[in-house]
Amino acid sequence: MWLDVLLFGLLITSFMLVVAKRISALINYFTLQSLALFLLMLILAYGHTGVKLYLVAGLIFLLKVVLIPFFLKRIMRKIKVEENVGFFVNPVISVLIALVLVYLSYAFTTKLLHITETLAQGAFSVAISIIFIGMFLMISRIKALVQIVGLLVMENGLFLAAISVSGGMPFLVEVVIFFDILVSVVILELFVYKINNAFEHIDSNKLKGLQG
Amino acid sequence: MIVTIILCVPLILAALAVLVKRSRAIGIINTVGYAVILAVSLWLVQGIINGGAPVILGSFFYIDALSAFFIFLIALINLSSSLYSIGYLAAETQEGLITERKTSAYYVLYNLFAFAMFFVTVVSNLGIMWVAIEMTTLISAFLVGFDNTKKSIEAAWKYIIICSAGIALALFGTILLYYTVAQHGGINSLNWTEVLAVASKLDPQVMKVVFLFILVGYGTKAGLAPMHTWLPDAHSQALSPVSALLSGVLLKTAFYAILRFTIIVNKSVPASFTQELFIIFGILSLGIAAAFILVQKDIKRLLAYSSVEHIGIISVGFGFAGIFGVYGALFHIFNHAITKSLMFLGAGIVAKNYKTTNLHIIKGVISVMPFTGVILILGAFALAGAPPFSVFFSEMMILVAGFHQGSYLASILFLLFMVIIFGAITYHFSRIIFGSKPAAVTSVYEPVTIKIALGLLFALILIVGLSVPTFFNKLILSVVEIIKG
Repeated sequence: MWLDVLLFGLLITSFMLVVAKRISALINYFTLQSLALFLLMLILAYGHTGVKLYLVAGLIFLLKVVLIPFFLKRIMRKIKVEENVGFFVNPVISVLIALVLVYLSYAFTTKLLHITETLAQGAFSVAISIIFIGMFLMISRIKALVQIVGLLVMENGLFLAAISVSGGMPFLVEVVIFFDILVSVVILELFVYKINNAFEHIDSNKLKGLQG
Repeated sequence: MIVTIILCVPLILAALAVLVKRSRAIGIINTVGYAVILAVSLWLVQGIINGGAPVILGSFFYIDALSAFFIFLIALINLSSSLYSIGYLAAETQEGLITERKTSAYYVLYNLFAFAMFFVTVVSNLGIMWVAIEMTTLISAFLVGFDNTKKSIEAAWKYIIICSAGIALALFGTILLYYTVAQHGGINSLNWTEVLAVASKLDPQVMKVVFLFILVGYGTKAGLAPMHTWLPDAHSQALSPVSALLSGVLLKTAFYAILRFTIIVNKSVPASFTQELFIIFGILSLGIAAAFILVQKDIKRLLAYSSVEHIGIISVGFGFAGIFGVYGALFHIFNHAITKSLMFLGAGIVAKNYKTTNLHIIKGVISVMPFTGVILILGAFALAGAPPFSVFFSEMMILVAGFHQGSYLASILFLLFMVIIFGAITYHFSRIIFGSKPAAVTSVYEPVTIKIALGLLFALILIVGLSVPTFFNKLILSVVEIIKG
């Protein structure tokens, strides 16, 4: 039951991300989504023997609920970025596209992958939806910071997919992937600073020096 | 033992780059380091082709002929690139483009980058391999944005964002593979040997989806069209020795990952599935590259688009399959690596002397810098696929494979695009090599280290074109065995 509620929460937060107009709201919704992922992991860990899954849950909490949102907010304060996310695709159409993505993900899971186990089926289709919604966020918003959030949302989807597969990937792999995510956020943050210094804005649609 | 040397030397070199103060000294130490790695990799290759079993350390490292082939390649290109870096960085420092301190940052990044690439080829776990590939992106992004100019920052940003999103899809493919390995294979593992052992039991439907995600995901990193859009920016904005590494070996490292998955997928799905996808993406890359090479105005972007072309050729080669196709594609991986690094290194020193990368402004290279000019024009013919250089032979093998397999439409398109690109490349390069020398270029900077690096690579292209060394032939044949399963 709780698992279903949390899966639903993960999906709802994705839609909140899609309609978010301000970057600070976007970061908050991302934090909320990560929190849902953490709780889901915690429940799964409770059902398993061993501490491995608890550790993974702890890492999710530490990185995605605490550290990364903190980094993102800090960079927002430092470069005094304008709050607007900048829509290439307006919110209404964005929601419609997200709906289509969710339906396609569901069809993909049931028809193409033949996953029939109920929980895995739900979790997998939500996971794929989140991956594609994250990708959609990356390409449909102007501000460079949103692209970082989009990438992180994709990774939330990937984690959901990984943990819905027979209790998670090999432990070492998961830990290394977490480390990798942290490093990439720090590096991306650095590049946002650099873009801001060189161009005095972070609008990715105005990065047009290189073409042809 | 061998693995330890190959992985530790770059790390030691990175540490030395911090400790040693004089940039010329770091450069020389670096070059010696890569000479050592190249020697060790030859030793490794020797062991494997003489019937040696794959090197397995614990369940963590796994090195067979396929890995050895790529290790050898990475070591070779790194050696020529670090030799070249000595002179190139000296010029950059002299012009005040970078400080002494930045030189050491360059060498730290350079070595970490090499470490990550070596790591991709030796690690057994497909999940860790993914992490290593992501690491190559993160580290090389700094090398792309090294100049801190508007253009290079823009290129680095596009590079890191597009490649990260792309390989997130590859991670999804890896997770799906893990799902079917656990569900149908009955083991919880991503280790290469274990996955390969159960490969025939995996769900074919899921494996098809796995391959799609892997091909699009790692294909983004490998520069296959239409996911190549970051490539011309990143490869043209990086410092030239880094461009040589990016085009010469980094793209191939991503292709290495695709090959590993192809071997597994082909065991559960008929091979025609992966082959058709390879052909489609390959031909598309060739077509797009041909169009952009024709109208190109920038010498480094021209070479970058030519990398898209050659990745396309390699992909088509694996698509045509058969002994000729696979042998040709592997041989082409090597030939493209040496030829393209030669061209990037040559173009780099030309751009340095002319202070521009614009093809319409650069003229009369042969009268300004006779040595580089001769090498560049011959290199351009080699790159475009003229005999007797090695690229010609691998391309011919792939074409023969295509007609042999009866893929007439693909073979004809392949030939057509090759002809267009041949014309375009030789046209562009003969215009910059010949012609009257511009008055603006007064003093010529062409240090001996750079000449040696160019000379060595050129000699290799010629030698391998005239006859493939026996050990190398054996190595490729054993890789062909692995890929054909």
